[in-house]
Amino acid sequence: MPGSGPSIRRRLAAVARPTITLVVLLAGLELLKRGGLLPVFVPAPSQVFNEIVKSPRLVTANLGPTAFKATLGFFIAMGIAVSAGSLAVLLRALYAPIYNLSVTLNSIPIIATAPLLALWLGTGPQVQIVIATLACQFSMLVGTVQGLQATDARQRELMHVLSASPFQMLRYLLIPSAVPYLFAGFKIAAPAAVLGAVTAEWAGAERGLGAMMLYALFSYDTPKVWLSVLLTCLLAAGGYGVVALVEKLVVRHGREVKLAD
Amino acid sequence: MLERRVSRDIQVQDVTMVYHGRGDSVIALERVDMHVPTGQFASIIGPSGCGKSTLLRLIADILQPHSGQVTLGGDTPRAARHDHALGFVFQSPTLLPWRTVRQNIELPLDVVGRNSTRRSARSTDELIELVGLKGFEDALPHQLSGGMQQRVAIARALVLTPDVLLLDEPFGALDEITRQRMNLEMLRIWAESETTALLVTHSIGEAIFMSDHVYVMSARPGRIVSVVDVPLPRPRTLDMMRSHVFFDCVNRVRDGLFGMEESASAASRPQPVEAY
Repeated sequence: MPGSGPSIRRRLAAVARPTITLVVLLAGLELLKRGGLLPVFVPAPSQVFNEIVKSPRLVTANLGPTAFKATLGFFIAMGIAVSAGSLAVLLRALYAPIYNLSVTLNSIPIIATAPLLALWLGTGPQVQIVIATLACQFSMLVGTVQGLQATDARQRELMHVLSASPFQMLRYLLIPSAVPYLFAGFKIAAPAAVLGAVTAEWAGAERGLGAMMLYALFSYDTPKVWLSVLLTCLLAAGGYGVVALVEKLVVRHGREVKLAD
Repeated sequence: MLERRVSRDIQVQDVTMVYHGRGDSVIALERVDMHVPTGQFASIIGPSGCGKSTLLRLIADILQPHSGQVTLGGDTPRAARHDHALGFVFQSPTLLPWRTVRQNIELPLDVVGRNSTRRSARSTDELIELVGLKGFEDALPHQLSGGMQQRVAIARALVLTPDVLLLDEPFGALDEITRQRMNLEMLRIWAESETTALLVTHSIGEAIFMSDHVYVMSARPGRIVSVVDVPLPRPRTLDMMRSHVFFDCVNRVRDGLFGMEESASAASRPQPVEAY
């Protein structure tokens, strides 16, 4: 590759700038807190970090379950949304019912469904998994529907002139051209699944970042509240990052798309 | 093994095509007759909206005529298509962006089946060399220029050694210099492929330079108004574009396009078609 030297330097610069900003911000906060200039509900960064050192078990015991529930919900939603989306595109009659159901489910406030689901499913992790699924299904459905319709008329005419079978049409044209749209949906869905899982944990869970957040809040343990918020953000960003990384490995032709809906 | 025909002729008989719009209907083609003998190169020229692309799509079995019939070597377009006997080059390259140059050229092989003996496939390496893309085999379409992308599309249309090669303004989006070079290359490739070729264009010069016969069409309704035979020898060279025979052909195509009485003033007013 020509010019890989400057590209590495540019990449370093891209990482360095936000890192420096973050360090300066954290140092500033720390100084302000030590100087007694911050209110009691804003802890010093060192206090938050200290929580991890004090009880690393607290982090692993709560981060793990939330990550697990969000991931499971994400994959269940992926299976359902991609199948339902494909069905909606293949069978015109099913398009409106499937799409409307997906929109409706997406417009229901998640927290409101939690008590109902708890009644139906019990209070175990299954409620949080279902809510994580509900929270992230919509963007994946939109991605599938848009992706499978992303071919242009010329490309379809080309496959027609080549006398391609419906299966070959799917394999050589529809699925590959849908992939960037699927990933656009997955990238929105990953943080949404985390948000769904954490929100559901508020409604009652033994373990998880949502539960940790709630316990810390009720015991006025400000650094622990901050830690749980921070971990939630990291988990959501991490989910996005993993999907983006897989996309980079799978989609080589540099065609990133945005969902229009 | 089945004895395969070397090529097919294109026969269009009394074809009429009507598009039904809201309330009104447009006659895209009216009683069109045309015959391109086996192994010859013909062009269709006419103003925008004269139905020349529609005619090409009827021959490729993308559209169906309302009346009349099209046969390719005696078969229906559908039979010819199922026999993978058609090569089609669109105005836009229409490459699959996730496939490399080689994979795009080999797409028809994937559809027919790599080990199929139904068509004698050309070697991809030979084709890549023929269209001048050696060294770019593993490039993705977005890394290529427009001219290079169109070469890939031409190679893809030739990989199954089609009996009939249909070209829908394949060089319309290219600049004049690249276009002339592509015309020469196209002729060179066609000459050694023994395929029957039909080119749709709105360039008078291109039509005459490439073809044995030029079909001149008028718009609304789309009709063939004249057929101009081009008596230039092959292989064609750019020098021929300055010959008397060439200018004579240009004038006869113009007469067809603008009508005899208007042709005298044709040079002085804005023209609906471009000439070299």
